[in-house]
Amino acid sequence: MTDTDSTTTGPLAPEDITADSPFTLPGFFDALADGQLLAARCTECETHMLPPRPACYGCGSRAVTLAEQPRTGEVISYTSVNRPPSAFDHLAPITVAVVELDTSARLTGRVDAPLDDVSIGDRVELQVRDPETADIDPDFDLSYEEEWPVHVFELL
Amino acid sequence: MPTAHLIAVGSSPLGKTDLPGRDLFSKALAEAFEELPDPADVVDGLYVGAQSERYENQIMQGTLMAEWAGLRNVPAERVEACAAAGALALKNAVRDVRAGVHDAVLACGVEKMTAGGTEGATNALGAAFERALEQRSGITAPATYALLARRYLHETDATERDLARIAVKNHRNAASNPRAMFQDEVDIETAMNAPDVAPPLKLYDCAPVTDGAAAVVVANDEVAADLQARADAVRVAGVGSAANNLAVAERDLTYVEGANVAASTAYEDAGVDATDVDVAEVHDAFTVCEALLAEAAEFAPKGRGIETVEDPADRSAGWTDVQINTSGGLKARGHPIGATGLLQAVEAHEQLTGRAGERQVADADTALLINEGGVADAHTVAHVLTARGE
Ligand SMILES: [Zn+2]
Repeated sequence: MTDTDSTTTGPLAPEDITADSPFTLPGFFDALADGQLLAARCTECETHMLPPRPACYGCGSRAVTLAEQPRTGEVISYTSVNRPPSAFDHLAPITVAVVELDTSARLTGRVDAPLDDVSIGDRVELQVRDPETADIDPDFDLSYEEEWPVHVFELL
Repeated sequence: MPTAHLIAVGSSPLGKTDLPGRDLFSKALAEAFEELPDPADVVDGLYVGAQSERYENQIMQGTLMAEWAGLRNVPAERVEACAAAGALALKNAVRDVRAGVHDAVLACGVEKMTAGGTEGATNALGAAFERALEQRSGITAPATYALLARRYLHETDATERDLARIAVKNHRNAASNPRAMFQDEVDIETAMNAPDVAPPLKLYDCAPVTDGAAAVVVANDEVAADLQARADAVRVAGVGSAANNLAVAERDLTYVEGANVAASTAYEDAGVDATDVDVAEVHDAFTVCEALLAEAAEFAPKGRGIETVEDPADRSAGWTDVQINTSGGLKARGHPIGATGLLQAVEAHEQLTGRAGERQVADADTALLINEGGVADAHTVAHVLTARGE
């Protein structure tokens, strides 16, 4: 993966931390809504982190940069949420998985498939859905989350 | 450094009760102080573990519990790390006594989980998970632990039946613990045929929603010598804690590294190692956790943590002879979130003072407690307790 135009190779400066920067949640979800899945990549140890953050949990370095992520990855584990939180009740049962993208970044997400169709090692692709299509009760969202997209995995 | 002693313990009834949180606390306090002067004459401060204000719409439990104990204008703080809150309260009390800041401190925990029904508990517990990507994917506590369990069953020879046997063992232990929420044994077929909650986890793999409170008094040598009617107080010999990542996706699903760090730190602090531990109360919020924590605490070789159910003589090479969750564990004693870490201390106190009745482990003189919050090792607090004289 090629890095984006971020030149960050050391600690973020206070002025770098704005709602436009993908190092913040608003910036990360804006980019996702535009079709870009951005992780923080540690330039010291190559750990990839979603969502991006100012420091690496792998080695402690703040020399992090942004790296666009592939949409494809592999199911590491999975289950079904049979009794979800209220805002997701109408979606039950919800298949969820931990997915490792091809850069080794890992994230949890819904899988758009019945539980019985999923296995460890399955290849999946991340899809970005707008909040309406994702079908979560709008009452769930905090005021600043209302426009944020939701990611869902589809089996390949 | 002053030594921290656990000089008195108490707990409320556990389960769905008709008492709100503060009254559950009153029950636990009344037991802990049965043979002691007024709390105001014993302790100089208070920590209370409480997971969520959503249950009773109440924060400021530090102030409230202090008031209910008759304490005024003393330091009194609520601490929070989801289900590790209770052990955090104990850790802070021990730290203050060891530092000489206070001569004695009350550590307590309380949770009124049934206030909003199962739905209320699910929503309140959901706040412990990473918000941006994981909460917004609809996960719950059983689902996050199911992700650990699925991977554990994939990487090891363990089966769903092995996990169910952990629940059966913990119900059997609870049946001889008068404090336990469940007093009934469960057979393996009942556990195996129970409804799925989050596959591969079924109903009996999951700790219950529980109301409850616990309170313990931590004191230095002088206070312990003054107040202890019997010469068998328990010493808090070691403390360790560690925060790992919040998102479950970003952790090792089959090795709770943070729990290993916390337990190792507590062992080192106490000058013991895993083979010295006779009894352990570990955080079996879900059956798979008991297996994972047996490995993280270095009782069991990797992949064989499921043998907590076996007699020591029947365990694989590399296993110690520790007895795990003699109280019935979170599964069967009950899991009132903020109080759980202190209920573990209550069981260790009973084991190390020879008061554990039918479930007494012979010659128990060293105990390990592991209390976790968030998913698995998102936050872990470990304590080593020893019988006095050890
Ligand atoms: Zn790094």
